Amino acid sequence: MQTVKKAPSRFPNEISEIEVQRDLSKCINCGTCAKLCPFGVHERKTGYNRVSKPLSYRCIGTSCEDKPFYCVNHCPRGALSLGVSSEYRTIGDYRWTRDLIIGTWKQAETGIPLKGQRYEIGNSGGGFDRISFNFPDDEGRGERGDENIGQNAFLPSDDTGISTEIDLNKREGTKISIRVPFYGGGMSFGSISLSVMLAKAKAARAWGTFTCTGEGGYPEALKEYDDNVITQVATGLFGVMEDTIQRVKIVEFKYAQGAKPGLGGHLLGDKVTAEVARMREAISGSSLFSPFPFHSVYSVEDHKKHLDWIKELNPNAIVSVKVSTPTDVDMVAVGSYYAGANIIHLDGSYGGTGAAPDIAKKNIAMPIEYAIPKVHEFLKREGLRDTMTIIASGGIRTAHDALKAIALGADGVVIGTAELVALGCVRCGNCESGRGCPRGIATTDPELSEAVNVEWGAQRLINLYAAWRSEIVDVLKRFGMRSIKELVGRYDCLIENHEITQENDEETKL
Amino acid sequence: MKIHKSEDEGGCGVVGFASTIPVRGKHIFEPAIQMHNRGNGKGGGIAAVGLSYEDLGVSESLLKNDYLLQIALLDQEAQSDIDAEFITPLMDVDKSERIPTVSDYHAIEGLETKPPDVWRYFVRVKADVLDRFINETKLEDVDRRRAEDEFIYQNSFKINTKFYASLGDKRAFVLSQGRNMMILKIVGYAENIVRYYKLEDFRAHVWIAHQRYPTRGRVWHPGGAHPFMGMHEALVHNGDFANYHSVVEYLEQRGRHPLFLTDTEVSVLLFDLLSRKYNYPLEYIIEAMAPTTEFDFDMLPPKKQEIYHAIQTEHIHGSPDGPWFFIIARTEPYENYFQLIGITDTSMLRPQVFALVEGEEVQIGLIGSEKQAIDATLKSLSEEDKRFPSVADKYWNARGGSYTDGGAFMFSIDSDEKLVCTNKFGEVVKTPEGQTHCDFRKPVTPPPDSDRQRELIAAELKSPLTLFVFLRNGVTEWDWDTLRWTVSELTECAKDDEQTKTTVIRGLTLLNDRRYDTGTKKRSSVVQITKEALHRIFDDTPAIDAKHAGIYHLIGWSNKDSFRPADSAEAILIVDAAGFPPEGEECDARLIVKAYEMGWKRFIVYNAQGQRFCGSGLGSETTGVRIDIYDSSGDYLGSSMDGAELYIHGNGQDQLGQILGSGKLVVFGDVGQTFMYGAKGGEAYVLGNAAGRPLINAVGKPRVVINGTCLDYLAESFMAGDPLNGGGFVVLNGLEHDGNGKCIEQDTPYPGSNLFSLASGGAIYIRDPHHKLVEEQLNGGEFSILTAEDWTLILPYLEENERLFGISIADNLLVVNGDTKTPLDVYRKVKPLKNSVLVECGEGED
Repeated sequence: MQTVKKAPSRFPNEISEIEVQRDLSKCINCGTCAKLCPFGVHERKTGYNRVSKPLSYRCIGTSCEDKPFYCVNHCPRGALSLGVSSEYRTIGDYRWTRDLIIGTWKQAETGIPLKGQRYEIGNSGGGFDRISFNFPDDEGRGERGDENIGQNAFLPSDDTGISTEIDLNKREGTKISIRVPFYGGGMSFGSISLSVMLAKAKAARAWGTFTCTGEGGYPEALKEYDDNVITQVATGLFGVMEDTIQRVKIVEFKYAQGAKPGLGGHLLGDKVTAEVARMREAISGSSLFSPFPFHSVYSVEDHKKHLDWIKELNPNAIVSVKVSTPTDVDMVAVGSYYAGANIIHLDGSYGGTGAAPDIAKKNIAMPIEYAIPKVHEFLKREGLRDTMTIIASGGIRTAHDALKAIALGADGVVIGTAELVALGCVRCGNCESGRGCPRGIATTDPELSEAVNVEWGAQRLINLYAAWRSEIVDVLKRFGMRSIKELVGRYDCLIENHEITQENDEETKL
Repeated sequence: MKIHKSEDEGGCGVVGFASTIPVRGKHIFEPAIQMHNRGNGKGGGIAAVGLSYEDLGVSESLLKNDYLLQIALLDQEAQSDIDAEFITPLMDVDKSERIPTVSDYHAIEGLETKPPDVWRYFVRVKADVLDRFINETKLEDVDRRRAEDEFIYQNSFKINTKFYASLGDKRAFVLSQGRNMMILKIVGYAENIVRYYKLEDFRAHVWIAHQRYPTRGRVWHPGGAHPFMGMHEALVHNGDFANYHSVVEYLEQRGRHPLFLTDTEVSVLLFDLLSRKYNYPLEYIIEAMAPTTEFDFDMLPPKKQEIYHAIQTEHIHGSPDGPWFFIIARTEPYENYFQLIGITDTSMLRPQVFALVEGEEVQIGLIGSEKQAIDATLKSLSEEDKRFPSVADKYWNARGGSYTDGGAFMFSIDSDEKLVCTNKFGEVVKTPEGQTHCDFRKPVTPPPDSDRQRELIAAELKSPLTLFVFLRNGVTEWDWDTLRWTVSELTECAKDDEQTKTTVIRGLTLLNDRRYDTGTKKRSSVVQITKEALHRIFDDTPAIDAKHAGIYHLIGWSNKDSFRPADSAEAILIVDAAGFPPEGEECDARLIVKAYEMGWKRFIVYNAQGQRFCGSGLGSETTGVRIDIYDSSGDYLGSSMDGAELYIHGNGQDQLGQILGSGKLVVFGDVGQTFMYGAKGGEAYVLGNAAGRPLINAVGKPRVVINGTCLDYLAESFMAGDPLNGGGFVVLNGLEHDGNGKCIEQDTPYPGSNLFSLASGGAIYIRDPHHKLVEEQLNGGEFSILTAEDWTLILPYLEENERLFGISIADNLLVVNGDTKTPLDVYRKVKPLKNSVLVECGEGED
């Protein structure tokens, strides 16, 4: 069962928007600020002569100005000032803006959704960033306050009676449903560390949803999470064994990744440590490549044969087919249905960590917001929509993205990067280099991976899921819906918004 | 206007055969059923070429000279409109009729959509109309008859534009127009065409069938089904182009306009363009469609390179890219022959098998997407007419776009009803000379010294091996009758006791599996006799629900529910696979899994008809389980097996041993596409060749001996560690057996352009005493010298190879031109290059 517990950053000086500056030439270490601040930005530890360095990430910023405890106004020597932190200036990109990154961290810390446009959409000028909700009475935004940074908590919605459950299998066979309309995407052992995998699995179990192994085998430690794990069968067939297929409830065929359609997985020699090699039955230090197609599948009847094989190994498993979004993705979906698939998983082009080559990541495949309705409509026309589950992924950053994808016709979504951000990823884009991630997430280096503790990681994800769920419930409530299933394909709930552009001019906010 | 492909589909099931004696439509029925799971019942088609004038009720010369126009009516009203505009004023109609059908299509099981009414016309163009046409189109220089062909072609195009045009109303379309040939297609499985249009007894020399797998759901008319017509061709296709639009563009620039918007139609337009417009000989047509590239191009003679270069320069944009395989049936009215052609793409991405029977009274050439369809055809033919054998004399794969065979084979039947098989380059493919088939029409009679023979048999029942040697020698010494009688006697002995039965089964199995001198007898007939005997023994086994104490128990589709646990560790379950579906809950592979869970460990599967997945699903650590499979085994056998042993007594199909964990896979013949894809371990022994992409992406420690060679892409992205430190390897011997069962070297141990590409671990040990392999064939590997350590490593596997196949290390592998050599002289090692490119170019995984 999921329980939201506070899970603060594992770094003493987490990156934050605000930087509280103390002019040491003026400060007399009187301790006034430490006594005033209820958020613990300033501390004067006993036994120390000086007030310690401000913990800026705890600061709530300019919204504190009118508060009686606003430190800047109360400093007797005027030694304190607020500014925009230099780290804040440097992180983020158009899709994952600094606010989305920091917002995701906050939600993972508190389990409480953040309100305000800058925590809901990015600045890409397209895709989900150009789509808004068309709420029936247009109430909401203004009166509920634009921002609520930090701990001045917006209370989670009362969600009694509103269902966020979706069914993953609408055909005959094992019925599987998940309590939240999202599950964790496939990231292989090798691309991420074991502790990150386990944290994902633990969170999935707590929330009654799934996580996916990716293509790098099925670590022993994941065994206890079998009921919440999806085995991925990808083109390299790394680590896929009869046993890994037989022990799970869902098997995912990865034909392509939206982030790099036409390319297979690749893991550089450097990241192939002894442990990774053992799992994939390869040798350490040598680069591992997955071919871009399944060489045993060049056509739809091969695909059926492939699915039949999985069903032969595990007749109770349901099968998800993950594809990128070529122009004929609708045909692919119908073909998958006839081949016996339960889930069509559309992976759009916005996703991808730093490991996907830029040339692929930014230039190929149809945007997911086009692909979802295309498939949704086509399946409806073919009379198959009620038997096929559509899952969308590829750049689902927030609960709002998830809701938009569902309103466009998906049943649910898969999240990838958002989970890594919740664990502290700064989107530096160096996933592939050396032993991987400076934050200890996308790494297999034994020392680096100790940076993420399983319990802590799981809690961060549990919190993120909780925040997303609250937000989803809130949006459903505003639409007067009792279930997430009602939102599927409700294009009328969305409007294209030409106005939204984010200034991101930090100076104007302060 | 931008043309959008309206029909998407992947591969399909395709089969075709050409016979020197006309055969009935019922024989395309069985192979069509065999390919059910390669289609989805949304489109099926057949074509027949070289028809019987008696069956059509016309004179011989009329059949030969008239165009046989077949028009499918989706709307009954369309016929009078077509007649009024496109037939009556333009043509002399010698005969027209509605093709007879069964009265109610509902009576045919599985047929959900009413097939179109088809009108058949025998026509010639009116002389004055043709004169005008020749004048208008300035075809004066062209042979008048060829101009008439063109008139018919254009007329059909006009009918299709007006009555079909894929974007408008669909009222009718022309199915076929050539001379002495016809096409029929429906929404449904292909075999129902035979039923619905009552073709069971309709005779033709060449038949092709196609099961389609369209992914658009509610198909109501068969316009998009295969075959598509050219002028005198019918083409079926298995695959999907990646460059459909580019090919369409190429055709449009040359005045050919697709109307049905599928890549199959485009293929036949391309074929017609190249053959009738450019007058290319077949070889150049094939080169334009499947260009010869890379190392294969370099291996062509300079003269040929020059021509091919010119063809490629001109036609590369019209060359279909991606996975495809065509089967074409056609008449050549000007040179008076019928032809069946199979062409595979340059990258060899689709499975395909060719087979040839060169009998004394009948010759037959067969092409299929899977061997099981060929087997089903021969079975169907031989059950009706014993002149047809149930086993072909020769089975092989084509190497697409290659210098060796050009990736295409054609079977031509001339006016003397002789069949000749040639490859793209016109080189004749033959079966060994001086050998004859057994005449299975004759009854088996006891030889004059039958008592003595009985004594001999009794004496040779000591062990399977002595029995095998006795029979093997008998094959050359005895006449057919004695051989058949002796084998038949053995089936009687097998009833005596379980010990004898085991000896007989194993001895006959050796006779089936091994290659040996058959003297003046065709090996295919020896195999047929052996197989029939084994079947008799298996059929005679007591059913699983019968009370008996022996070790053999028979289970089949009819008594599959009378299941029970094994009563001893030695108990052997014989599974008669006939009737089991090829996949799904009810398939024989699941039956074996259930039996295994009840304690059965030994299985014999016979009568296999393309059933898949056998040996899969048993779970981990299944050491001690042994499965022997006879007859037409299907795809994915032994996939994901972990510990069990699987013996395939014949050729294997595609995707065998995928992700094989451990255990043993033995194939007494060839294997199909992507053998042991992503394998992690296990041992495998293949007597013959592998098709494309064996061992791709294999990791861990698979250890494989392939005695033949493979089409191309052997061990691509092989990542199987260091073989000298527990990793994996492939031994490629590059041998074959000649007509006398002698083990000889193939022309080259590896003809492909890509060996060990992108490999980062493992090794290939290749028998290449003449150093025929060159650096250009490697792409990420390097040659190195075989060390004593390497030899020590592979020797035990070669010894096992010798035990299994009789390919001797001392007498075959290490002998070159009659001289015994050292392993170092004979084998070369290919190991991965420590390639910096692999390290620098790659990026981390997502």
